[in-house]
Amino acid sequence: MSGAIERQLHIIDFTVSSLLRRKGKNGALLTVYTLIVFILASVMFFTHAVKREAALVLRESPEIIVQRTLTGRYQPIPISYVESIGEIRGVISARPRLWGYYYDANFLANYTLVVPADQQPEAGTIDIGSGISRVREAFRGDTIGFTGHDGKPFAFVVNRVLEEESRLLTADLILMREADYRAFSGIPPGYATDLVLKVRNPREYTTIAEKIVKLHPDTRPIVRDEILRTYDALFGWRSGLVIVIFGAAVLAFVIFAWDKATGLSSEEKKEIGILKAVGWETSDVLLMKFWEGLAVSLTAFLAGVILGYCHVFFTSAALFAPVIKGWSTLYPDFRLVPFIDLADLVTLFFFTVVPYTVTTIVPSWRAATIDPDSVMR
Amino acid sequence: MAPRNSALYLGGTAGLLALLAGLLTGSGLAVADARDELSRNARLVRELELTDLCIFTEAAYTRHPAVTDLATAFQDAPASFEHFPSGALVGPPAHLTGNHVGSH
Amino acid sequence: MIRVRQITKTFNSGRPNEFTAVSGVSLTVNLREVTVLKGPSGSGKTTLLGMVGCMSRPTSGRIFLGEREITSLSERFLTDIRRRTFGFIFQRFNLINGLTALENVMAPAYPSGERFSSLRARALAVMEMFDLARKAGARVEWLSGGEAQRVAIARALINNPSVVIADEPTAHLDTRLSHEFMAIMRRLKEEGKTIILASHDPIVHDTDLADRVIEMRDGRVIADGAGR
Repeated sequence: MSGAIERQLHIIDFTVSSLLRRKGKNGALLTVYTLIVFILASVMFFTHAVKREAALVLRESPEIIVQRTLTGRYQPIPISYVESIGEIRGVISARPRLWGYYYDANFLANYTLVVPADQQPEAGTIDIGSGISRVREAFRGDTIGFTGHDGKPFAFVVNRVLEEESRLLTADLILMREADYRAFSGIPPGYATDLVLKVRNPREYTTIAEKIVKLHPDTRPIVRDEILRTYDALFGWRSGLVIVIFGAAVLAFVIFAWDKATGLSSEEKKEIGILKAVGWETSDVLLMKFWEGLAVSLTAFLAGVILGYCHVFFTSAALFAPVIKGWSTLYPDFRLVPFIDLADLVTLFFFTVVPYTVTTIVPSWRAATIDPDSVMR
Repeated sequence: MAPRNSALYLGGTAGLLALLAGLLTGSGLAVADARDELSRNARLVRELELTDLCIFTEAAYTRHPAVTDLATAFQDAPASFEHFPSGALVGPPAHLTGNHVGSH
Repeated sequence: MIRVRQITKTFNSGRPNEFTAVSGVSLTVNLREVTVLKGPSGSGKTTLLGMVGCMSRPTSGRIFLGEREITSLSERFLTDIRRRTFGFIFQRFNLINGLTALENVMAPAYPSGERFSSLRARALAVMEMFDLARKAGARVEWLSGGEAQRVAIARALINNPSVVIADEPTAHLDTRLSHEFMAIMRRLKEEGKTIILASHDPIVHDTDLADRVIEMRDGRVIADGAGR
């Protein structure tokens, strides 16, 4: 038993010495390999954590939202729709919701203005998200000026800055009283941004949505499942474009690694011949090649995953910031809850470590079965 | 005598494994710690009737992808590309591109 | 005693480039003796050494190692016998570049699973015998020709073989190193090793060390007699 372990250790000794001979080349391979695992792992950790957090908090989002569309865009909805929609069987309540955007030309930032259903701020006061507070350096008691829809200046006193812990939801929010919002935004009386429905039974969502469209053909209902699914697919569909570009880089690496792992140089073939001649069996040679593949790929996998984890959860995905930030001024700091999907990690393991190790062993097979006397010829 | 290569390699690998195990354990603890925060945030979503995460604030269709309409991305011309880099990361929601009762 | 009975080795059998390197050779190698295979290159010496040393199997014929018939053994057993019984010294030494002299000497013993500390001590002891202890940590490509040769010999001895096989050992050595090599072979013979040398170098085959000289040509034995 200890002999079997000692044999493995001897062969690892040999493999490591053998890898260290070409420090530059193997070092470069290991670095590029680690970098690729790092990027993949970072994307994986980031998207999983965002999706998981979205799924956990957004399951409390409105059950059905009814928008009105006109000329292909959504438009304010008449509050009178509330009555007819509220009478549909299964609908507990329907409420007009007021919200919209404001573009702050001085700070080049977009804000989201929301009128809460309950506990609206006092007249002339607002609650602001932490992102706005940071950008405008505004805190409780400060006065903020905006330009209304009619060009008139509006001044609001900051009543409260929303908690930092909710920044992933509220960084760009401004909470305002209904009367203030109507005066500021110019949304006509009798109209709201959209309607929010409470429903008795989630299984009736589809039926109710169909009834709403039949009743008011200019409306578009959005049910909660669809909201949740949006975040499931958030980095899925279009990130395909990013993946295509990254895929080209990965492909280049695969070719490089393939060439490195499979292309046994005549020197390596000769070495295998020597080892066989001095008493190594075919299985010893294959074991050596196995350790060679594993040493590179497992090290790259572990280092890449560890670096990816630190990147996403300790530095708030600092390297992705330029990509995700784009042109936004109000960029929240992604201090994400570190949700980890072990299945994802296992998948990443099988897509990185296994193929490389196999491509190292398989081509050696032929070389390992040559007659040991070939080195004498 | 210098340590054996195999000892260095296996030691290094064990170290990396331990580090990874530590991080994963830490993540488990952090997730448990965040439970209260997440439920407070979920309550906020219910109270303010929010539908989206505040990730990309540059355009309506990236700030509120869940309630956007399919045409928003093409406000200037049906064939134009989007203005914003985030457009490469946020796709139109499935309920707009699939066959759904709410699709327009 | 190693007995070779009517062995033939044919390469590329059935193809246009088929050729027979060794044909119908029978000979007996006595233990604790120095046997020299003499003949021009292409006479089949190397092929014969390979078969005697369990590196390859004859196309036909049989080889007995002691009482054991080895030609029909599986690769696994053959490798095992090769590792325990034979030590090889190749033309050009065939050391593995980039590794240290010590690692080269230890390599043949790796599959045995011997404890590292004892293997290392044995390897250093063998190297000490050949005045190589100072060079243990040096990469083999930095060694002089004489040192590389002695490392190759030390590697051949690490598994304590009873038979040492050397193929054209002096082909790449100058006269002084060739004599040094023969001096080492003499020491090994005195220690009781069986030695089989293949060479067309007079320094090797015209020596009083040789107990027997077997002359080969075109794959056949043309003379078999006592040494000088």
